Amino acid sequence: MSPGYEGVYVVGAGQTKYEKRTEKTVQRLIWEATDLALRSAGLGFKDVDGLGVTAFTLGPDNVTTMTEHMGISCRWLFQGLYGGASGISGMLQAARAIQHGDAEVVVIVAADAFDVASHMSMNRNPGQHDYMGPWGYGAANGIFAMHTRLYMKEFGATPEDFGRLCVAQRENAMLNPNALLRSRMTMDDYLNARQVADPLRLYDCVLPCCGADAVVLVSEAVASRLSVPKLRILGGGEMHNYPAEDIFGFSAGWELFRDRMWSTAGVGPEDMDFVQLYDDYPVMEFVQLEGMGFAPRGGAGELVRKKGGTVRDALPINTGGGQLSAGQCGASGGMIGVYEAVTQLRHEAGDRQVPGAKVGAVSGYGQVSYGRGLSASACVLGRE
Amino acid sequence: MSNDATKPMPRINAINRPFFAACNDSELRLQRCLAPGCGKHVYFPRVCCPHCGGGDLEWVAVSGRGTIRTHTFVRRPQHPSFFPDAPYHVLAVTLEEGPLMYSRLAGDVPEDADLIGKAVRVVFSQEAPGQKLPFFELA
Repeated sequence: MSPGYEGVYVVGAGQTKYEKRTEKTVQRLIWEATDLALRSAGLGFKDVDGLGVTAFTLGPDNVTTMTEHMGISCRWLFQGLYGGASGISGMLQAARAIQHGDAEVVVIVAADAFDVASHMSMNRNPGQHDYMGPWGYGAANGIFAMHTRLYMKEFGATPEDFGRLCVAQRENAMLNPNALLRSRMTMDDYLNARQVADPLRLYDCVLPCCGADAVVLVSEAVASRLSVPKLRILGGGEMHNYPAEDIFGFSAGWELFRDRMWSTAGVGPEDMDFVQLYDDYPVMEFVQLEGMGFAPRGGAGELVRKKGGTVRDALPINTGGGQLSAGQCGASGGMIGVYEAVTQLRHEAGDRQVPGAKVGAVSGYGQVSYGRGLSASACVLGRE
Repeated sequence: MSNDATKPMPRINAINRPFFAACNDSELRLQRCLAPGCGKHVYFPRVCCPHCGGGDLEWVAVSGRGTIRTHTFVRRPQHPSFFPDAPYHVLAVTLEEGPLMYSRLAGDVPEDADLIGKAVRVVFSQEAPGQKLPFFELA
């Protein structure tokens, strides 16, 4: 068994209002989510000695200038360069730092002030900008349309298979006051939506928005002074650029670290009260369910058919609606699942609470380059 | 910054200049690794061989033939400059020499065509003043 994350506690989480557009700067959103997370833990800014920030629209500011901005002195910093895998990656790295005494109170936050226009005009890495962009590839929609088409051909998946998950997440979003898309969506609504990049339709694609999510991790000594539910990271892992030589292999590395993650955690997929997936597109949720071992390869569609996905089903998936229905605040898309998992495990999820939730999994995915996301991450969180 | 009418073109640099220059000569040239025992073709342009880590690469002409690994019919491009062209098929082509190249389909093909596994060959399209790009047509 691999070394676990003993002595590290997740004691707070914060999420700003999600908005289609905002006058707020990304720095303000980072502060807001940090403030909310610290308050939920019963801590203040002067307690913080570690900070991790991920935000596409933050430059030329960065995590270091954000410590200056917020007036906190830190001895541990992390800047997420792994897109939507960054939040969990930052938590796992922060946990190691806390275990070794390099920090005691770490905030991991992600934010973006993204509207559709700024999403379209963002400065992209060479893989996309130079070797896909000039051909009019359709940005992420075009990339994941190609993955979706190949997945459907190889495994016989149907539009209804993806639609079932999108409809279930919308039902969850209807119970989440902070979700941007809260009107009921039927399978017909999903199937008849405008086509974007075949086979993707409108509701396969996230709504870019503005907002931020944050969590607080602390040492055992700090946790013992706090009167909040204590959550632990039971296991986790990350992988980058896997497999190096196959862009369309329906993998980003979860299957490489899942055995280590589950054995460290001492639980398996069948024990999860919920799973929060990185849902930039439903096909990637299928790949994550299969990569983490919830379903065999090609079997995610059947899993969702049998186990649902709403908070009342056997396997609740993206219990706040996910990015597909709550919205994708840029890099914060890698933290919405973390926020939601912590909120569920603290039993503070209101109408969408999974009754008695004690343990759940969260995955991240990102840094889309030459036709795929390069970074995968996941962790298992549990309530003591 | 480009205006809406100008297609976003590649940022030409010391790594990729031979590729885009060859395109303007209507020739598809890729890097190939010179390491003994490797010899693999490389795309997109790299500073080293991503197959073996070797640092010696040469530029060689390739066949321009390949098969479609997957594709999509883009109705809403990422940039307004492509709106007049849309909708169109975007392709991921596995070149005969190994690497995967994203491109567009040349020629009229029904929007709902299943193109996975279809053979294609390269053609060149003048996509911006001063820059031809490789497209592919069904072979």
